[in-house]
Amino acid sequence: MINGIALGQYFPGQSVMHKMDPRIKLINTFIFIIAVFIPQSWAGLLMVILFVLFSINCSKIPGKTILKSFKPIIPIILITSLINVFYTQSGTILWKWWIFTISTGGLNKAGFMAVRILCLIVGSSLMTYTTTPTALTDGMERVFSPLKVFHVHVHELAMMMTIALRFIPTLIEETDKIMSAQKARGADMESGGLSQRIKAFIPVLIPLFVSSFRRAYELATAMECRCYHGGEGRTRMKQLKMQGRDYSAIAVMTVFVGLLIASLFVVPPVL
Amino acid sequence: MSSLLETKGLTHVYGEGTPFEKKALDEVSITFEQGDLVGIIGHTGSGKSTFIQHLNGLLKPTAGQVLLHGNDIWANPKQIRDIRFKVGMVFQYPEYQLFEETVYKDIAFGPKNMGISEDEIEQRVKKAASIVHLKEDLLQKSPFELSGGEKRRAAIAGVMAMEPEVFILDEPTAGLDPKGRNQILDQICAYREEQNSTVLFVSHSMEDIAKVAKKVLVMHKGKVAMYGQTYEVFSQVDKLEQMGLTVPAVTKIFTGLKKRGFDLGQNAYTIEQAADVLLPFLQRGGTVHD
Repeated sequence: MINGIALGQYFPGQSVMHKMDPRIKLINTFIFIIAVFIPQSWAGLLMVILFVLFSINCSKIPGKTILKSFKPIIPIILITSLINVFYTQSGTILWKWWIFTISTGGLNKAGFMAVRILCLIVGSSLMTYTTTPTALTDGMERVFSPLKVFHVHVHELAMMMTIALRFIPTLIEETDKIMSAQKARGADMESGGLSQRIKAFIPVLIPLFVSSFRRAYELATAMECRCYHGGEGRTRMKQLKMQGRDYSAIAVMTVFVGLLIASLFVVPPVL
Repeated sequence: MSSLLETKGLTHVYGEGTPFEKKALDEVSITFEQGDLVGIIGHTGSGKSTFIQHLNGLLKPTAGQVLLHGNDIWANPKQIRDIRFKVGMVFQYPEYQLFEETVYKDIAFGPKNMGISEDEIEQRVKKAASIVHLKEDLLQKSPFELSGGEKRRAAIAGVMAMEPEVFILDEPTAGLDPKGRNQILDQICAYREEQNSTVLFVSHSMEDIAKVAKKVLVMHKGKVAMYGQTYEVFSQVDKLEQMGLTVPAVTKIFTGLKKRGFDLGQNAYTIEQAADVLLPFLQRGGTVHD
């Protein structure tokens, strides 16, 4: 049950995208998220779709896994589509009842938005699929390091995130263990009403809190024993270094955004 | 007559269909009889923990069956809780599952879930507490005030109080000092005598196994490598060592003596046995046979 949650959904692999510098992946994903909202025509959106397909191909992530990531966003897509269908009234009216109207324009816009959201999710989840959480925070620390000028504790924040990410699997394992132990004593966590279920989690939550604090103390001591004193003067074992593939990724991204912007002038907007 | 607890072709695969797929149990078929006292040993990752978690229905087999009194425990998945009361299970480091305000309430958690009367709960809690030698005044304390060893015993009592027919423990002595280990082992045996129940326990300490267990189950790579009387299993030193396991230190000495030409005729796996064999031998002046 608890294993079903996709956390830090890293999918091991050796593809170009896996090997890419996490900084570039972060920046590219950020640009991509904005770029998805540039096209205003189906032609532009088609380019986004092609780009996403190209990226999936580069990542060597099986289509099945990608499809799985759709699942949690289906309700969001449905809701936005419904709202779009009923709020947009243009073109010919197909159906009308009380205050609800369905028009061709509405359907068009709903479809457009749905595809856009799908591209957004798939494109950005490719980053989490191909980057280990530690590489990701490492990349974040570097990307945000200019903020140090404004006295933002970038290193400490990154370290906190690394630790948090590092302990998610441990805590899940721990939760699983405690749940099993309480179930072995007859705890019933799968039936009953909401309040009953919340109550049923007390035997799991209390031991979990206690052990989290214990772990935090232990970790703090262990870090101090190894002379950890924050980011100042700290060197890294794995130096991030830009490679040919990273420069190509930047180039591909630049061309992609350029084409999208150009499409704005060439093709008339759909909406 | 059907056996008490039996597995048939029990197989478990973790993370089926993902790159992390791992076969933890591979067609395990084994039978435990009423009153058995079985020590389970195996290298880390040999599938011991996975195996025992199938016996009380915490894990569902990928393939195969677990039979209690000849009935498949998964025949009616809604009744699985009842199985857990009959097959009690104490996890590794059970002291980390204590959560109630008082030790008494914590031990009572299991019996309470069984839906028995308050009077009987009290009776059972007191009985379990006395088996693990928890003093009565400790019962009203918070479990977080107890010492490490007391916490462990309180947690074990929590499962004992359900009075299961089969009592399973995963490394009950891990992380305890020698005195604490012996206490807990004695208390487990005391419970078994009192309830006439069956006990299975996982341990990495060959000395613990030799001291307590009547039978030994050796697991290796998700399969049953050996299952038999303790002396039978511990006589196969080479086979055990191949699996990354060992035999009690005393048994090693006896094997060493044999290699050096002192065949004492019989093996020993506890200090007491060794004394019984060695003493007459030494009284004879160190000759092998009269």
